[in-house]
Amino acid sequence: VPRPGWRETVLSEETNLVRVPGERIEQRTRLRAEQPLAAATLISRGGADTVDKLRRHAERTERAWALDGVPLLGVSVFAVLDMPLDDLLRRRFASFRTICLPTAGRLAEYQFELLPTGQRPHFTVRLHSTDGPELDRLLAALGAPQANSQYARGKIWREED
Amino acid sequence: MYRVDITADLNDEDETGYVWTFLDEARDPGQIKPGAIVVAGDQDAAAVCEVIDLALAGDGTIVHLRLLPGLVEDYRALVERALAS
Repeated sequence: VPRPGWRETVLSEETNLVRVPGERIEQRTRLRAEQPLAAATLISRGGADTVDKLRRHAERTERAWALDGVPLLGVSVFAVLDMPLDDLLRRRFASFRTICLPTAGRLAEYQFELLPTGQRPHFTVRLHSTDGPELDRLLAALGAPQANSQYARGKIWREED
Repeated sequence: MYRVDITADLNDEDETGYVWTFLDEARDPGQIKPGAIVVAGDQDAAAVCEVIDLALAGDGTIVHLRLLPGLVEDYRALVERALAS
Protein backbone atom coordinates (compact mmCIF):
# COMPACT_ATOMS: atom_id res chain seq x y z
CA VAL A 1 0.00 0.00 0.00
CA PRO A 2 1.54 3.33 -1.02
CA ARG A 3 2.41 5.77 1.74
CA PRO A 4 0.16 8.80 2.18
CA GLY A 5 0.83 11.32 -0.52
CA TRP A 6 1.69 8.68 -3.11
CA ARG A 7 -0.44 6.52 -5.33
CA GLU A 8 0.17 3.55 -7.50
CA THR A 9 -0.26 3.98 -11.20
CA VAL A 10 0.56 2.13 -14.35
CA LEU A 11 2.68 3.86 -16.95
CA SER A 12 4.02 2.14 -20.04
CA GLU A 13 3.31 -1.29 -18.62
CA GLU A 14 5.38 -0.53 -15.53
CA THR A 15 3.95 0.01 -12.08
CA ASN A 16 5.21 3.22 -10.55
CA LEU A 17 4.52 5.44 -7.62
CA VAL A 18 3.75 9.01 -8.55
CA ARG A 19 3.60 11.96 -6.23
CA VAL A 20 0.13 13.28 -5.50
CA PRO A 21 0.27 16.99 -4.74
CA GLY A 22 -1.10 17.73 -1.29
CA GLU A 23 -4.07 19.94 -0.68
CA ARG A 24 -3.46 23.42 0.59
CA ILE A 25 -3.99 23.45 4.33
CA GLU A 26 -7.39 24.98 5.02
CA GLN A 27 -7.06 27.53 7.78
CA ARG A 28 -10.73 28.39 8.42
CA THR A 29 -11.28 25.39 10.65
CA ARG A 30 -7.93 25.95 12.36
CA LEU A 31 -8.41 29.60 13.28
CA ARG A 32 -8.35 30.13 17.03
CA ALA A 33 -11.61 31.28 18.54
CA GLU A 34 -10.45 34.50 20.15
CA GLN A 35 -11.72 37.99 20.65
CA PRO A 36 -10.33 40.55 18.19
CA LEU A 37 -7.16 42.18 19.40
CA ALA A 38 -7.41 45.47 21.24
CA ALA A 39 -6.23 48.37 19.09
CA ALA A 40 -3.34 49.06 21.46
CA THR A 41 -1.97 45.51 21.28
CA LEU A 42 1.59 45.50 20.00
CA ILE A 43 2.35 43.35 16.97
CA SER A 44 5.85 42.03 16.39
CA ARG A 45 7.48 41.03 13.13
CA GLY A 46 11.17 40.23 12.99
CA GLY A 47 13.54 41.61 10.39
CA ALA A 48 13.74 44.48 7.97
CA ASP A 49 11.22 43.79 5.24
CA THR A 50 11.15 45.04 1.69
CA VAL A 51 8.36 44.76 -0.83
CA ASP A 52 10.19 41.89 -2.52
CA LYS A 53 10.65 40.03 0.77
CA LEU A 54 7.03 40.49 1.75
CA ARG A 55 5.96 39.23 -1.67
CA ARG A 56 8.09 36.10 -1.36
CA HIS A 57 6.80 35.38 2.12
CA ALA A 58 3.18 35.99 1.14
CA GLU A 59 3.53 33.73 -1.88
CA ARG A 60 5.03 30.98 0.29
CA THR A 61 1.94 31.15 2.48
CA GLU A 62 -0.24 31.06 -0.62
CA ARG A 63 1.46 27.86 -1.80
CA ALA A 64 0.66 26.06 1.44
CA TRP A 65 -2.46 27.57 2.94
CA ALA A 66 -6.04 28.28 1.88
CA LEU A 67 -8.89 30.16 3.51
CA ASP A 68 -12.42 29.13 2.57
CA GLY A 69 -10.98 27.10 -0.27
CA VAL A 70 -9.11 30.03 -1.78
CA PRO A 71 -5.32 30.33 -1.67
CA LEU A 72 -4.37 32.54 1.27
CA LEU A 73 -1.83 35.31 0.85
CA GLY A 74 -0.34 36.54 4.08
CA VAL A 75 2.67 37.13 6.27
CA SER A 76 3.32 36.09 9.83
CA VAL A 77 3.36 38.29 12.91
CA PHE A 78 3.07 37.75 16.65
CA ALA A 79 0.90 39.69 19.07
CA VAL A 80 2.29 40.68 22.43
CA LEU A 81 -0.17 38.68 24.51
CA ASP A 82 0.17 36.75 27.76
CA MET A 83 3.78 37.85 28.32
CA PRO A 84 5.82 41.04 28.36
CA LEU A 85 7.30 42.25 25.08
CA ASP A 86 10.87 41.50 26.13
CA ASP A 87 9.97 37.91 26.99
CA LEU A 88 8.40 37.38 23.57
CA LEU A 89 11.37 38.96 21.83
CA ARG A 90 13.84 36.86 23.78
CA ARG A 91 11.94 33.61 23.29
CA ARG A 92 11.02 34.00 19.64
CA PHE A 93 12.94 36.84 18.00
CA ALA A 94 16.49 36.62 19.36
CA SER A 95 17.83 35.91 15.85
CA PHE A 96 16.54 39.21 14.49
CA ARG A 97 18.67 42.31 14.77
CA THR A 98 15.65 44.48 14.05
CA ILE A 99 11.98 44.25 14.76
CA CYS A 100 8.83 46.04 13.62
CA LEU A 101 6.34 46.87 16.34
CA PRO A 102 3.13 48.38 15.01
CA THR A 103 -0.11 48.14 16.96
CA ALA A 104 -3.10 46.08 15.92
CA GLY A 105 -4.96 49.36 15.53
CA ARG A 106 -2.37 50.70 13.10
CA LEU A 107 -2.68 47.58 10.93
CA ALA A 108 -6.45 47.99 10.98
CA GLU A 109 -6.13 51.64 9.97
CA TYR A 110 -4.17 50.43 6.96
CA GLN A 111 -7.03 47.99 6.27
CA PHE A 112 -5.24 44.78 7.15
CA GLU A 113 -7.03 41.85 8.76
CA LEU A 114 -5.27 39.73 11.37
CA LEU A 115 -6.12 36.04 11.26
CA PRO A 116 -5.45 34.03 14.45
CA THR A 117 -3.49 31.24 12.77
CA GLY A 118 -1.18 28.69 14.30
CA GLN A 119 -0.61 28.77 18.02
CA ARG A 120 -1.35 31.83 20.13
CA PRO A 121 0.06 34.49 19.81
CA HIS A 122 0.83 33.92 16.10
CA PHE A 123 -1.30 35.75 13.53
CA THR A 124 -1.32 36.08 9.76
CA VAL A 125 -1.70 39.50 8.17
CA ARG A 126 -4.02 38.77 5.28
CA LEU A 127 -3.23 40.16 1.86
CA HIS A 128 -5.41 40.13 -1.22
CA SER A 129 -2.74 40.53 -3.83
CA THR A 130 1.00 40.81 -4.14
CA ASP A 131 0.71 43.90 -6.28
CA GLY A 132 3.04 46.68 -5.33
CA PRO A 133 0.46 49.03 -3.80
CA GLU A 134 -0.80 46.56 -1.19
CA LEU A 135 2.72 45.54 -0.24
CA ASP A 136 3.76 49.18 -0.06
CA ARG A 137 0.82 49.75 2.27
CA LEU A 138 1.83 46.80 4.45
CA LEU A 139 5.39 48.04 4.63
CA ALA A 140 4.09 51.44 5.76
CA ALA A 141 1.76 49.83 8.28
CA LEU A 142 4.57 47.80 9.83
CA GLY A 143 6.55 50.99 10.34
CA ALA A 144 10.27 51.49 10.49
CA PRO A 145 12.26 48.59 11.91
CA GLN A 146 13.92 49.28 15.23
CA ALA A 147 16.78 47.63 17.08
CA ASN A 148 15.71 44.45 18.83
CA SER A 149 16.64 44.83 22.49
CA GLN A 150 16.67 41.05 22.87
CA TYR A 151 18.86 40.27 19.86
CA ALA A 152 21.41 37.56 20.68
CA ARG A 153 19.86 36.97 24.10
CA GLY A 154 19.96 33.23 23.55
CA LYS A 155 21.30 30.54 25.80
CA ILE A 156 24.59 29.70 24.13
CA TRP A 157 27.52 30.60 26.36
CA ARG A 158 29.82 33.21 24.87
CA GLU A 159 33.39 34.09 25.80
CA GLU A 160 32.41 37.64 26.65
CA ASP A 161 29.59 36.55 29.02
CA MET B 1 25.33 38.02 5.73
CA TYR B 2 24.38 34.36 5.97
CA ARG B 3 24.43 31.50 3.50
CA VAL B 4 21.52 29.38 4.60
CA ASP B 5 20.76 25.71 3.99
CA ILE B 6 17.08 26.44 3.54
CA THR B 7 15.33 29.73 2.95
CA ALA B 8 12.55 30.53 5.38
CA ASP B 9 10.73 33.38 7.00
CA LEU B 10 11.66 32.80 10.63
CA ASN B 11 8.43 34.57 11.59
CA ASP B 12 6.38 31.76 10.04
CA GLU B 13 4.70 29.24 12.29
CA ASP B 14 1.78 26.90 11.87
CA GLU B 15 -0.40 24.98 14.29
CA THR B 16 2.54 22.76 15.24
CA GLY B 17 4.32 25.75 16.75
CA TYR B 18 7.30 25.14 14.49
CA VAL B 19 8.74 27.35 11.77
CA TRP B 20 7.85 25.99 8.34
CA THR B 21 9.06 26.45 4.78
CA PHE B 22 9.13 24.50 1.55
CA LEU B 23 11.64 21.73 0.89
CA ASP B 24 12.32 23.10 -2.60
CA GLU B 25 13.79 26.22 -0.96
CA ALA B 26 16.72 24.15 0.34
CA ARG B 27 20.11 24.38 -1.38
CA ASP B 28 20.32 20.59 -1.15
CA PRO B 29 16.91 19.08 -0.41
CA GLY B 30 18.54 15.69 0.08
CA GLN B 31 20.11 16.96 3.31
CA ILE B 32 16.80 18.04 4.81
CA LYS B 33 15.77 15.05 6.88
CA PRO B 34 14.24 14.73 10.34
CA GLY B 35 16.92 15.27 12.97
CA ALA B 36 19.24 17.21 10.66
CA ILE B 37 20.70 20.44 12.03
CA VAL B 38 20.53 23.22 9.44
CA VAL B 39 20.78 26.97 9.09
CA ALA B 40 17.43 28.43 8.06
CA GLY B 41 16.31 31.94 7.25
CA ASP B 42 17.73 34.37 4.77
CA GLN B 43 20.85 36.43 4.31
CA ASP B 44 19.72 38.97 6.91
CA ALA B 45 18.29 36.78 9.66
CA ALA B 46 19.19 33.15 10.14
CA ALA B 47 19.08 30.60 12.91
CA VAL B 48 20.30 27.12 13.63
CA CYS B 49 17.33 24.77 13.46
CA GLU B 50 16.51 21.10 13.85
CA VAL B 51 14.46 19.53 11.08
CA ILE B 52 11.40 18.03 12.73
CA ASP B 53 9.47 16.50 9.86
CA LEU B 54 8.36 16.88 6.27
CA ALA B 55 4.75 16.93 5.10
CA LEU B 56 2.92 17.36 1.84
CA ALA B 57 1.12 20.67 1.47
CA GLY B 58 -0.04 22.65 -1.52
CA ASP B 59 2.18 22.01 -4.51
CA GLY B 60 5.16 20.76 -2.54
CA THR B 61 6.58 19.47 0.70
CA ILE B 62 6.81 21.63 3.77
CA VAL B 63 9.56 21.27 6.34
CA HIS B 64 8.99 21.93 10.04
CA LEU B 65 11.94 23.44 11.86
CA ARG B 66 12.62 23.85 15.57
CA LEU B 67 14.48 27.07 16.31
CA LEU B 68 17.51 26.33 18.45
CA PRO B 69 18.76 28.97 20.90
CA GLY B 70 21.62 31.31 20.17
CA LEU B 71 23.03 32.85 17.02
CA VAL B 72 24.69 31.06 14.13
CA GLU B 73 27.90 32.79 15.23
CA ASP B 74 27.58 31.26 18.69
CA TYR B 75 27.67 27.76 17.26
CA ARG B 76 30.85 28.54 15.34
CA ALA B 77 32.44 29.78 18.58
CA LEU B 78 31.17 26.68 20.41
CA VAL B 79 32.73 24.32 17.86
CA GLU B 80 35.98 26.27 17.80
CA ARG B 81 36.20 25.97 21.62
CA ALA B 82 35.45 22.28 21.49
CA LEU B 83 38.07 21.58 18.84
CA ALA B 84 40.79 23.85 20.20
CA SER B 85 43.91 21.91 21.03
